[in-house]
Amino acid sequence: MPTSVTAARQFLTEETASALDEAVAVARRRSHAQTTSLHAVSALLSLPSSTLREACTRARSSAYPSRLQFRALELSVGVSLDRLPSSKSDEDPPISNSLMAAIKRSQASQRRHPESYHLQQLHSSNNSNAIATGCSQAQAILKVELKYLILSILDDPIVSRVFGEAGFRSCDIKLALVRPPVTQVSSRFSRAHCPPIFLCNLTDSVSGRVGYNLLFPGQEDGVDENCKRISEVMAKNSGKSPLLVGVCAIEALRAFTESLTKGKSGILDGDLAGLIVISIEKEINEIVNEGNEEKMGLKLKEVEATLEKCNGSGGGGVVLHFGDLKGLIFDGALGDFVSPLVLRLASLMEVYRRRLWLMGAVDSVEIYRKFCDKFPNVEKDWDLQLLPITSSKSSFDGAYPKSSLMRSFVPFGGLFPTPSDLKSPLSGWNQSIPRCNLCNEKYEQEVDALKKAGSAVSVADQYSENLPSWLRMAAVDTGKGEDVAKTKAGESMLSAKVFGLQKKWNDICQRVHCTPTFTKSDINPSMSQVPIVKGPQFSMDQKQTSNGDLSINESLFPNQSPGRQIHMQTNFLPKSTPSISCTSEGRNMNFHSVLHVDVPSVTQQTDKDVPWFHHPQQSLSSCSGRTPSSFVPPVTTDLKLGTIYASTTQESKTTKSLNHREHLQRFSGSVSTEFDANSEVTSYQFAQSSSCSVPSSGEQFDLGDYKSIKKALAEKVGWQDEAVNSVSQAVSQVRHKYRSFRGINCKGDNWLTFLGPDRVGKKRIASALADVLFGSQECLVSLDLSSQGKLGHPNSIFECKELNRHDEMSRGKTVSDLIAEELRKKPHSVVFLENVDKADYGVQHSLDLAIRTGKFPDSHGREISINNMVLITTSSSITKGNVNVICGNKDVKFPERRILGAKNWQMQILVGSASDDAGKSNYMGVRVTTVKEASTFTSANKRKTRNAVESSELEKTDTGEREHKVPRSCLDLNFPVEEADEEDMGLGLSKSESSESSENWWEELFSQVYKKIHFKPFDFDEVADKIVKEISSQCQRTVGTEVALEIDEEVMVQMLAAAWLSDKKEAIEDWVAEVLGRSLAEAGQKYNLTPQSVLKLVAYKGDVVKEQAPGIRLPAKINLN
Amino acid sequence: MGYNLLEALNVQIVGSGDRYLVLAHGLGTDQSVWQRILPLFTPSYRIILYDLVCAGSVNPDYFDFTRYTTLDPYVDDLLNILKSLGVDSCAYVGHSVSAMIGILASIRRPQLFSKLILIGASPRFLNDEDYHGGFEQGEIEKVFSAMEANYEAWVNGFAPLAVGADVPTAVREFSRTLFNMRPDISLFVSRTVFNSDLRGVLGLVRVPCCVIQTARDVSVPASVAEYLRSHLGGRTTVEILRTEGHLPHLTVPALLSQVLRRALSR
Repeated sequence: MPTSVTAARQFLTEETASALDEAVAVARRRSHAQTTSLHAVSALLSLPSSTLREACTRARSSAYPSRLQFRALELSVGVSLDRLPSSKSDEDPPISNSLMAAIKRSQASQRRHPESYHLQQLHSSNNSNAIATGCSQAQAILKVELKYLILSILDDPIVSRVFGEAGFRSCDIKLALVRPPVTQVSSRFSRAHCPPIFLCNLTDSVSGRVGYNLLFPGQEDGVDENCKRISEVMAKNSGKSPLLVGVCAIEALRAFTESLTKGKSGILDGDLAGLIVISIEKEINEIVNEGNEEKMGLKLKEVEATLEKCNGSGGGGVVLHFGDLKGLIFDGALGDFVSPLVLRLASLMEVYRRRLWLMGAVDSVEIYRKFCDKFPNVEKDWDLQLLPITSSKSSFDGAYPKSSLMRSFVPFGGLFPTPSDLKSPLSGWNQSIPRCNLCNEKYEQEVDALKKAGSAVSVADQYSENLPSWLRMAAVDTGKGEDVAKTKAGESMLSAKVFGLQKKWNDICQRVHCTPTFTKSDINPSMSQVPIVKGPQFSMDQKQTSNGDLSINESLFPNQSPGRQIHMQTNFLPKSTPSISCTSEGRNMNFHSVLHVDVPSVTQQTDKDVPWFHHPQQSLSSCSGRTPSSFVPPVTTDLKLGTIYASTTQESKTTKSLNHREHLQRFSGSVSTEFDANSEVTSYQFAQSSSCSVPSSGEQFDLGDYKSIKKALAEKVGWQDEAVNSVSQAVSQVRHKYRSFRGINCKGDNWLTFLGPDRVGKKRIASALADVLFGSQECLVSLDLSSQGKLGHPNSIFECKELNRHDEMSRGKTVSDLIAEELRKKPHSVVFLENVDKADYGVQHSLDLAIRTGKFPDSHGREISINNMVLITTSSSITKGNVNVICGNKDVKFPERRILGAKNWQMQILVGSASDDAGKSNYMGVRVTTVKEASTFTSANKRKTRNAVESSELEKTDTGEREHKVPRSCLDLNFPVEEADEEDMGLGLSKSESSESSENWWEELFSQVYKKIHFKPFDFDEVADKIVKEISSQCQRTVGTEVALEIDEEVMVQMLAAAWLSDKKEAIEDWVAEVLGRSLAEAGQKYNLTPQSVLKLVAYKGDVVKEQAPGIRLPAKINLN
Repeated sequence: MGYNLLEALNVQIVGSGDRYLVLAHGLGTDQSVWQRILPLFTPSYRIILYDLVCAGSVNPDYFDFTRYTTLDPYVDDLLNILKSLGVDSCAYVGHSVSAMIGILASIRRPQLFSKLILIGASPRFLNDEDYHGGFEQGEIEKVFSAMEANYEAWVNGFAPLAVGADVPTAVREFSRTLFNMRPDISLFVSRTVFNSDLRGVLGLVRVPCCVIQTARDVSVPASVAEYLRSHLGGRTTVEILRTEGHLPHLTVPALLSQVLRRALSR
């Protein structure tokens, strides 16, 4: 919780408070949510007579001119402030926790060091920058002095980093603050070995104690803590004898007895004061080793005498210290000498309780146990209390050879080197390039990701060379992946990539957020210096090398000024458009050269998928004059050289590319002239030309692809008009967005959510999308998240469809891993995740991250980029807006849940006579028998059927909507409620829990996806009617009107499921005509059918369909009874 | 003490179960490290969260350099917290240094703890004659001097190393909490921890323990888990997580939750 400004002010002296006000003003100006230490630093630096600035002046390194260093400091503070998130609020931004903590810290340190505070006060009053005197400790609330506040703010790592970036060391500044200016900085704080200084030790170091050990007061006071503990044991009312246990126990014991004998005060006081320590360690040794008991006897006598004396004087006592208990455990003959000693000591204890303490130490409990085995009563007799000792003083000191932990830093050497290595490119760039907060943040995220990607080679393998066609123009992020795959590390590449990202975000920022372009005039000289002839030559060269290495560029541009850096970056075609347009203004002259270089690159893009763009950039001398050399602000020019990976040329379409080249060269001529005339227009045209350069895949990019998508989808799923409409709309929108290069920073763009019923329809649309977007239905990764951990549904008609095919391979893997594995296999695909609302916690987490970062992490933390995929999450649950759709269908005869439970049974036709009760159907002689009104004929089977239906109900609830929000509203009445509850219970804790907690989760997830599409329920009843009609007409044709046909409901369900699943529209009609018609005809021949006969089409339970009819998931043959 | 202590160490109780579960974080983190574990246990446990006094989220003024020289004061803190909360029995999950603290606490108050779950625990980090703790004294010193010289660089290097698995968010999170610690405190506590040696006292533990260890942990070699199993006095099981790194609760929270749940139910 941030603290309000007024609350914070009351802790501060006037001066400090005004400094704080300044800080708040800074934060408010930048519309930041909180006032942080950084704001404080910024304010402190800008104060008229700034203590901090003065201290910096004294602390700064002499290597740079002071003006430069301060400028660098201001810049780095400014940049750090830019990174903070902004928020809209009219009130004063409250004090952040870190700053408040700094205030509290300074308060505390002021309280701790009143005397040094006075001292400093004196010193500083001599100073020209005198700190206002506010004798604060007299007041009720200790008011924080500005200096102390500065000191504790400097402790803040963010602040020290900012100072570090500008070449200051916060410890130097602290020293400078604390010491009067005349004192020279002590030599022991040499630059190379600057120890961190904190408030706690600051005053110590000022008072001149040696160096750095002051951090460890524990060291000076010996085993303070251990001693305290030992004395606690001894002092407790019982006054037990401590037996120290632990590897360090013996040292602790020694330390304790030493300090006792030395008579150190404070260790034992109260009734324990004045104890005498007598050691019998040596004597024990002698007994054990030499069997010499004489000395021991003498010693014990002495002890007794002392104790008597103590008794007489009424105070004091004896600590009898027997050292290591190990000495008393001795197997063999000599061990016999020990037992009298143990008894002797026990009797002494008996007599002089409260005056005598035994004390010893033992390595480990095991040894003590052994001892106890020998002398079972010893614990009681000696009045021992075990005291675990876990550390000792001596381990603090010792010789320190080399560290392997340090060596193990080496693998990170490339990526996490000394801060300067990585930082300098970063911080350097940050200073010079204006980005708004949002873009900066995004940029930093990506840089982060990049750094990490570098260390994870495993990520690399999943990227294939060619980009997905549908995202070809958009998937900027894959560039990183490509880079990782191509370049096995190499810091130059890293920085190049970092630069690339930076460039990208600058572009985006400039375009989207209209940040003013940076130092326009500076660009001209750099442009003109680029040798025009070398452009094509460079790209030719690049073509020959299999991977673009930075060194090549450098060799190709040997005559470059040292200030110029060349960075390479993977990039994508459309980038040329925005980047040119944003630099175009007023620099028409140079676009000649730009275009000369650029055109061949465009040409080549036709046969390569990944163009390389080249960014020569320069640090201009005019800039370096203003800032310290380590932070040269580079000027970005948007000159590009596009070439290709040779490795991607395997799919080069030579003839096409030739054509395009010609075409584009012609085009380029016109473009360049137009650039001269009007840069605005040309940049637009250039965009056109770039899209012209990929006409081979152009049809898929057709602006009117909405219609084609819609057509393709509607072909597959005829019944979901609205859903098809919105899906195709969404997809074409996203595509368009990508193409126009506006949407790349919106994560979740490639996510869709299908809500509502019609599982098959959803799946069908997904696979159709895969076909449309990626050219094949194979490009579909389909996983059902709800089926994890459940038994498969035996013989389900859906099983063969592989709707939940991961069941078999899922053994021993988490779902996230399964998904990740699939994603890795098919990097360009439609990912179809069913029932996300039932995903387990791990998957939830992964999906959450995926939608936010564009990378899907598996349980090992490896990440897979999903930017080239379209992710479709489904949930059978209904969001609020959709409830009425379901409720309207409450009384459907065949709810989807039932259909989902359909089995793939073989069918058979039974012949019976018309049953009296049911009678013949008035209508065309065909009807569907429900379980309830099953005719007497099937009464033998009734139980079984019922069971089967029930069990299938159960399964349905598993796959279907068991946990959705309004389950009862469409509950099948055949389905006993109690069983549903029982089922709920049976699934146990995790399930019910997850349904509770995940509800919020998936609603949140769904709120992030690009579009939610509601599906209508599939109208099974209509289809059922149609089937019944079809069958009855078929029946009339083959066996005549007088014969009735009863269709078992289960068979009906099966047929409906099959119809639902089949790709062809007329499949079920065909099947009825072909298979059923043939069987009916056969039945008619086989049995002598009378008007009383009733044919029954029933499922042959236990017999799975062996031979399927073509095009539909129904048996190719129907058994006759 | 009492109330102040609870406030100072940011003690929180979350969840609605009837049993108490203490989640104690390790060095370089604070209680936020458990946030991904929490949701799975809140329905069935009342979870006690607190920050070690050395954590970055605790006011550094509370860190008394003369007091926290061994692990025992930390144990005092823990026991005091439980006492002032009126807890008479709880399960304890401790990571790294908190695992050590848990061991010591259970020695002092065996009846207070129904179960100890020790994540990435090590009784002793330094190697000894017949003990492999993973570190040589010298190495440690080198690390300490690295920390002294440039804390930030050290954190940047150490965080990914400790996290082990390549989970950027975990590295980021760990770095964040590590940065939050004031460097001198962090160094001091590290010294205290590396200075501690619990080997001799493991046998005093009577509480059933579950040692959770990742397959590869820079700080704790696999042999240590086995050492703990054979030396801890109570009934002890060892769970090896199929992942890497010292911070499974950051890197693989889902997996760890499963194991925790299993371990707690035993």
